[in-house]
Amino acid sequence: MKMKKTVCAVLVVLSAFLTGKVATAQDHKIKTSYKTDIHIISGNDMHATIENFPQLGAIVDSMRRIDKNTLVISAGDNRTGNPLNDIYSDPSYPMVALMNQIGFDCTTFGNHEFDSGQEGLARNINESSFPYICANIFPDPQTGIQTVPYKFFDIKGVKICILGVVETDSKGKPSTHPKNVEDISFAPVEQTIRRYIWLRDECDVFILLSHIGYDADTLMASKFPQFDLIIGGHSHTQIDGGELHNGVLITQNVNKLKRVTHTILTVENGKVTGKSANNIEVAGYPRKNTAVKALVDFFSNNPEFQKVLAQAEAPFSSYEELGIMMCDALRVMGQTDVAISNAGGVRYDSHPAGDFTVNDVLRLDPFGNTAVVMNITGQELRDMIISCFHNDTYGLPFMSGITCQATYTDSNRSDIKDLKLFDMEGKPLNLKKKFKVITNSYTAVICDAPRSDQGEDINRQTADMLMEYLQKMQKVNYQGRRCISEIF
Amino acid sequence: MTVTVNKEEVRIFKGATAKHAVLRYILMTKGDVSKLDSIKIYDSKGHLIGDDAPLREGQAITFCI
Repeated sequence: MKMKKTVCAVLVVLSAFLTGKVATAQDHKIKTSYKTDIHIISGNDMHATIENFPQLGAIVDSMRRIDKNTLVISAGDNRTGNPLNDIYSDPSYPMVALMNQIGFDCTTFGNHEFDSGQEGLARNINESSFPYICANIFPDPQTGIQTVPYKFFDIKGVKICILGVVETDSKGKPSTHPKNVEDISFAPVEQTIRRYIWLRDECDVFILLSHIGYDADTLMASKFPQFDLIIGGHSHTQIDGGELHNGVLITQNVNKLKRVTHTILTVENGKVTGKSANNIEVAGYPRKNTAVKALVDFFSNNPEFQKVLAQAEAPFSSYEELGIMMCDALRVMGQTDVAISNAGGVRYDSHPAGDFTVNDVLRLDPFGNTAVVMNITGQELRDMIISCFHNDTYGLPFMSGITCQATYTDSNRSDIKDLKLFDMEGKPLNLKKKFKVITNSYTAVICDAPRSDQGEDINRQTADMLMEYLQKMQKVNYQGRRCISEIF
Repeated sequence: MTVTVNKEEVRIFKGATAKHAVLRYILMTKGDVSKLDSIKIYDSKGHLIGDDAPLREGQAITFCI
């Protein structure tokens, strides 16, 4: 009998050694054989809305007074959308500093986290006091990008595992400029989750922190009921509290930190026995964290905005001169043949000789438009320009790489009777030839004439391209430049 | 890419947002562009989505003013 007991004990120890995962899971379940609530505050697609951070800080403070172990989590796209953050001398540092101050526990990558470029992202991660959790990203070690596929959190004896994933497009990369991820490879989301699904047996609470969009979240919930909760992002979907799909609770909010979600998971004997979620309005929250507000005020008075990008050798004295410069910037920095930009997108009509600053660029191009590139024929380009005239109340678009001659039906420019395009040598443009054309996202939409290629957003803000162009040129002179001649 | 706005197919550039697609739809249908800033956009399941929500090929959205 004694011999049998000894053999059994040896087998148990051996079994524990050989199947460490199972033994670990059983061990910690003994520890969590009581009932407790796990509180989570989660946001997504904050897009550098730093002005709402003092309120978010107060919300988190309140929650932590109720439960000091409250987890604060972001589902990605923390940056991009606010020049105060995006063109800071260390791009996106303001968001990192504010998230540090509030005490975020983790984030996953959104596609816009890569907008800082690989070097910028590596720097942002090093500056962060919270981990970036993402299982389907494989950066080249030389990039210095530090990430973990999953992370365990021990909250009041409950073992929580968070697995992170980021969206990839049809080219297998997140939606950002390709050069931002040239040394990073990505794996498909579903395949990645399947690879890590064993984590379910290692924890009491299994959470997918995703930046893949609502539809993909519901699909993952249908395929992987092992998750207790999916904290989602990317599609900016406003879910009323949380939705149960195949037993998995899914949460997400619209972008720009309008709301966050407060999720409560009740854990009993190592299992989630209750789930609930509510939205909390952030912008309208009545209190602010003063320390966070001080930090926001500091970042809002950014001397970077006074930085001189170039010298204007002569004053600008018309919308057209400034518009041509904006188009030159798109064409040169976007490496295309032609650029066009709606006239209404040029927000002032004169600028003195001398300094051209960051602030000047942001006043000139304040809309946050991105650049769209397309390959179209000269005829399609001509049709685009005419449709821009019809749909933009400011008339014909400005252009670079070509000029145009418009014949109007009357002196009020009521309609265009004829439009001729010319190349930069003044020769008629070959309407059958294909051209690589760049424009801003608004112009790409309002130019609704049929064309073979609607184009693709290259994930670059047009204002950023103008800043880079001015820094590259150092001196600019557009005095007397015209791209449109008119006949009445 | 092609998306659906209020059940109408809209061709638009890849990477467009919900607001871009709605603007193109309003132009297609000769609607009132000035009301663009007051619209609410919903996904196919009826969830409110942000104006800047990224769209993917084949996605269906609806909006009301």
